[in-house]
Amino acid sequence: MANRVLVAIKGEVKTFWRNKSTIFWTVAFPVLLILLFGAIFSGGGTGRVDIHVQDLSDTPASQAFIVSLVDTGSVNIINVSKGTDIDQYIKDNSPYAVLIIPANFSEAFPGPGQSPTQLQLRTDPTNSGSSIAYSIVAGVASQYNLYFAGGTNWITVGMSDITQTGFSYIDFFIPGVIALTSMTTTIFWMVSVMTRYRTNGIFKKLTTTPITRYEWLTAQILWQLVVVFMSVAVIMLVGILVFDMHLTLTPLAILVIIMSSALFSSMGMIIARFIHDEETASTAANAITFPMMFLSGIFFNLAFMPEWLQAIAKVLPLYYVGEALRNTMVYDNQVAAVNNALVVLVLAVVFFVAGVLLSKWKDE
Amino acid sequence: MAVTVIEVRNLVKKYGSFAAVDGISFEVMKGEVFSLLGPNGAGKTTTVEIMECLRTLTSGEVRILGMDVNKETLKIKGRIGVLPQDFNAFDFLTVKENIEYFGGMFNKSLPADDLIRAVDLGEKRDVWFKKLSGGLKQRVGVAISMVNDPDIIFLDEPTTGLDPKARRDVWAVIQELKAKGKTVILTTHYMEEAEVLSDRVGIIDHGRFLALGTPHDIIEQFGTGSRCIISNCDDACAQSLKQQWPGIERKGGDIVIKLENKGSLPEIIYTLDRSGGNYEQIQVTRPTLEDVFLRLTGKKLHEEEAPPPTEKKGLFGRKKKEKGVA
Ligand SMILES: Nc1ncnc2c1ncn2[C@@H]1O[C@H](COP(=O)(O)OP(=O)(O)OP(=O)(O)O)[C@@H](O)[C@H]1O
Ligand SMILES: [Mg+2]
Repeated sequence: MANRVLVAIKGEVKTFWRNKSTIFWTVAFPVLLILLFGAIFSGGGTGRVDIHVQDLSDTPASQAFIVSLVDTGSVNIINVSKGTDIDQYIKDNSPYAVLIIPANFSEAFPGPGQSPTQLQLRTDPTNSGSSIAYSIVAGVASQYNLYFAGGTNWITVGMSDITQTGFSYIDFFIPGVIALTSMTTTIFWMVSVMTRYRTNGIFKKLTTTPITRYEWLTAQILWQLVVVFMSVAVIMLVGILVFDMHLTLTPLAILVIIMSSALFSSMGMIIARFIHDEETASTAANAITFPMMFLSGIFFNLAFMPEWLQAIAKVLPLYYVGEALRNTMVYDNQVAAVNNALVVLVLAVVFFVAGVLLSKWKDE
Repeated sequence: MAVTVIEVRNLVKKYGSFAAVDGISFEVMKGEVFSLLGPNGAGKTTTVEIMECLRTLTSGEVRILGMDVNKETLKIKGRIGVLPQDFNAFDFLTVKENIEYFGGMFNKSLPADDLIRAVDLGEKRDVWFKKLSGGLKQRVGVAISMVNDPDIIFLDEPTTGLDPKARRDVWAVIQELKAKGKTVILTTHYMEEAEVLSDRVGIIDHGRFLALGTPHDIIEQFGTGSRCIISNCDDACAQSLKQQWPGIERKGGDIVIKLENKGSLPEIIYTLDRSGGNYEQIQVTRPTLEDVFLRLTGKKLHEEEAPPPTEKKGLFGRKKKEKGVA
């Protein structure tokens, strides 16, 4: 039996290297994905919002206010000279946050009876940076108000980055790409190999030999593990060489990748079991993987997404694979990782058993 | 002594209420080439695939090498070789790699190079399967069917869709198998093929045997006897022939006379001579399985005809056989 499994794997290995398109999906596709998203999201990389400031007052008081903004550590200040036509400036430069400090700013402090000074913040609401800019400006203004009112800060907020030591988007993204690859590689492989072998008669020929479908499926799943780990190696290499990522391929991560591959191989088996036509089956595989790709928090942190989207993510297997990998590889939160991994394990077992029981070679 | 290697008793295979195989029985002896001859949808593939343990039977009994197909599936598979209808192998593996792949599925297998030689594919040994022509692919299929050194080889339509040359090459491979004493079960649409290759033939339609026996016996039993055709007969000839043989048929200018016995032919020629009329030529035809089939079913086996293997160039470079025209 072991011999038959090995022979079957050997056959797939040779076919793999002789068929250019499979190499693209295994190697080039994940690399392109990382390079693309890495470039998009870690380009500026400072994590600060840009606030364009036109200081019409230009007094020590207004300058002190600007310094306070800078001291938050969350903004880049771009100075706009006093004489600039601000509307024209906005048109020309498309900033998402423009702060105008009025000319009467320095006189704003003396006692009651006077009308309050109004800072003017013009923002582009379609840009996520605009609300952050508002929070920062409003926060600093409150501090000033408190100070003038002679108050004291009773509640303070100490803030630090959740990812502790400066993880970048790429660190967040790479476990996701690994999860994604373990899904797409295996599901599409199973669907295409099973529908193709059924249509072109290879299954028929195999059934005339003593190999059983369990042996054959074992061979395919083992072979897919090899392919997935090849992808993982390439992904890690690019992450390290190009993006200086901070990930460790923990034993738990390896386990999760194995379980995920088995899970999605089985899903492919089930699709191929019910849809015999190669084209239709691969369309079905797309219809399943595509939403999962975007709803499972692979590309973006789900915390920023609406609640209902987060609820959907929690029924998608890929979400747990991504979370497990991220927790163990990036955040070193092994408890959460194990919890996620257990979900993956249960799903893998369920799908695997269903896949093996349902699959059949003969079309009687 | 003849050893029975295949026994089929009252085999029935139903798909829903439709009987694809409807109660057939036969036996095959060791070393025989047995053909199932029938048109599309006759039930040939269904019958052989039940013997190959690929489909389950509805009722009846099938024993291969003494083993029940319902019970000893794996054992049977180890001892038979199969070329399925519409055979295909791995596109991106070479001829040799494909043979080795399937060889690896069995507990014992023959060296790939020996098999490649046996089907005369030496030149194509390291060529991807994908790049072979249909005829060569079928030969690879035959080689793979021999890979476990089986006692019985099933070839399901090994020559369908091949050109005449490729078809004859496959025939030569089958004759070689027979020479080696292998038992071969063949299915075909081509009566020529069945006649040339097989010891016995079962003519099958609608899942039933219409005739079963050696090609010669079947023709004797169901054939119409030999016929004499006199082409482009003028009226004088026709008149005298009609006096002697009232039952003759006239097809255009041709006249067809059934030959009842050996003495008929000289009599016809004598009559023609005496009539003083003109005719173009005299031709004697022997009935073929095709004619038998046509008579039994009212159907043609297939549209195009397999070419008669008159000039056979041996695939192995040593066989040269002339087949006389009857
Ligand atoms: N899986 C199936 N389900 C339903 N009907 C089937 C099935 N397989 C075969 N049949 C029917 O059984 C009949 C016999 O089919 P079979 O394939 O055995 O014919 P065949 O003699 O091999 O024909 P061909 O020369 O075209 O290969 C056909 O009418 C076919 O439609
Ligand atoms: Mg058939």
